[in-house]
Amino acid sequence: MSASNKLIKTGTAFILGDDVNTDINCSNKYLPGKDIAYVAAHAFDALAPTIAADIAAAGGGILVAGDHFGINSSREQAVHVMRAMNIQAIVARSFGRQFFRNAINNGMPLFECDTRSIQAGQMLEIDFSSGVLKIDSQPIQSAVPLPSEILAILSMGGLIPFLQKYPDWNFA
Amino acid sequence: MGATISEKILARHAGKASVKAGEVVVAEIDFAMVTDTRAANTIKMIGKLGDKMLPFAKNTALVLDHYSPPPNLEAAEIHSSMRAFSKERGTKLYDIGDGICHQVLPEGGHLTCGDLVVGTDTHSVTYGAFNALGTGIEGTDVSAVMMSSKLWFRVPETVRVELRGELQPGVWAKDITLAMLGRFGAEGLNYHAIEYVGSAVAAMDIDDRMTLCNHAAELGAKAAILEPDEKTFAWLRAHGAKTPLPTYADADAHYAKQVVIDAASLAPQVARKHEVDDIVSVTDIDRQRIQFALIGTCTNGRLDDIRQAAAVLKGRKLAAGVRMIVTPASRQIYLAALREGLIEILTEAGASFESAGCGTCVGITNHLVPGDGDTVISTANRNFKGRLSNKNADIWLGSAATVAASALTGFITDPRTVAGGTWRSAA
Repeated sequence: MSASNKLIKTGTAFILGDDVNTDINCSNKYLPGKDIAYVAAHAFDALAPTIAADIAAAGGGILVAGDHFGINSSREQAVHVMRAMNIQAIVARSFGRQFFRNAINNGMPLFECDTRSIQAGQMLEIDFSSGVLKIDSQPIQSAVPLPSEILAILSMGGLIPFLQKYPDWNFA
Repeated sequence: MGATISEKILARHAGKASVKAGEVVVAEIDFAMVTDTRAANTIKMIGKLGDKMLPFAKNTALVLDHYSPPPNLEAAEIHSSMRAFSKERGTKLYDIGDGICHQVLPEGGHLTCGDLVVGTDTHSVTYGAFNALGTGIEGTDVSAVMMSSKLWFRVPETVRVELRGELQPGVWAKDITLAMLGRFGAEGLNYHAIEYVGSAVAAMDIDDRMTLCNHAAELGAKAAILEPDEKTFAWLRAHGAKTPLPTYADADAHYAKQVVIDAASLAPQVARKHEVDDIVSVTDIDRQRIQFALIGTCTNGRLDDIRQAAAVLKGRKLAAGVRMIVTPASRQIYLAALREGLIEILTEAGASFESAGCGTCVGITNHLVPGDGDTVISTANRNFKGRLSNKNADIWLGSAATVAASALTGFITDPRTVAGGTWRSAA
């Protein structure tokens, strides 16, 4: 894979905890009839009452969480909501398996690392191709870089735009 | 170094000699499935793909199981759109009452040993009972599969679980999976594939093996997979599956963890209310009254489960104040239970039968809504607060034998203590 798949995201850290269920907190599964804009304005209310408003006021940001972000049979609508919130990336100790797929397929970069030292409001810069996270310009975290195939899908904005360009998956 | 079953299946489907855990591969799919909970999103995503041919539609089944029968207009309209999509694009279709996706796929002969199968439901891990790698996906994923017959996968690490000895009569695969949840916790094996091996697996019939693999979803597993044997091959032949490609782990395969469980000493297990990993032995439960008993779901709605219930309840009545619903996992199971006289036995005992589907597992058809303060004992795989549409009711989980014994006494009961509770198939 060429260097053109370099993927860097920056943003302010917004903190959530462990076991965030995105079906409950970031989809209309329990809000029938509500659209993505409504869900985006109220996302994660039950976990962090002002976080959606704070992210909106900051013009977006990076979500930081603990274990199993997006736990259980996660709906991919949650990622559409997060993109509507202008969330640039999600950093967590681990992701629910289906959420991991949904995020990649919908162009949301994920970074797996120990998140305990990250404080709300810090400026994060993540280089997904090298696996380095900088907190307030200090490069103190590193994780396994995303594989080139996933970087290729993310750099196209998700699996559907990717397949429109490479219908036979022949991108290497 | 050798390879695990999952590594071998993924390597073969990616056209590679070998793969290693953590690597991302693009693999050819053998069969795909879409349920009615994700069909609307899938059809939307296919629309986003543009005017594309869907050559894999013929190897895709649309299954109308969760909202079966549809409880409202929205669900009925989703079903109508699925029927129209299926006809237009040439997918297979299982309509309401045909059964739960994870039962109708193997019954329909759609998968065999060595296959890679995806479905829009986390319990797609069930296909591992047939030595196929089955895993859950979402709408974008299955759109990509229908268009290209391929999908990306991150190769999972494998955990090997050896089940030593044989389960005692009255103890079932459900009790092993609950014990695993007690040991590792919900999502405790997130991303991992599980290989169950050992004499207790060999002794299990296919119905119980499906339970063993199915319930791995609650552990967060990407797959749960068994080595095949003569029972597997005979079952697949009887259901018209294509020629199997039996896939075994190498002796020097790398495992992230190796675990041994003494199956012979295991007592029936139950998950206490609200938490799927709050597990205790049924022998430690003291006078826990129940009002509702449910046998069914993709975890335990098979013929052997219904037989367990009939063995306990034949010629008897449910305890006063207990209601019981049985939901066979498929129309074929319903018919088999009918022909064996099991439906008559359970109906005379006071149970009611629902048409095959998922509705009594998750509260989306509202066919089973417990009252405030009610306690439900269920063979389902999840017991989150409010899962049956009432946050003021409790759901406990156990095997079909435990549920039937509890329905008989009115209290959560060790099936080994009631007549018929140690029934096991003579095969």
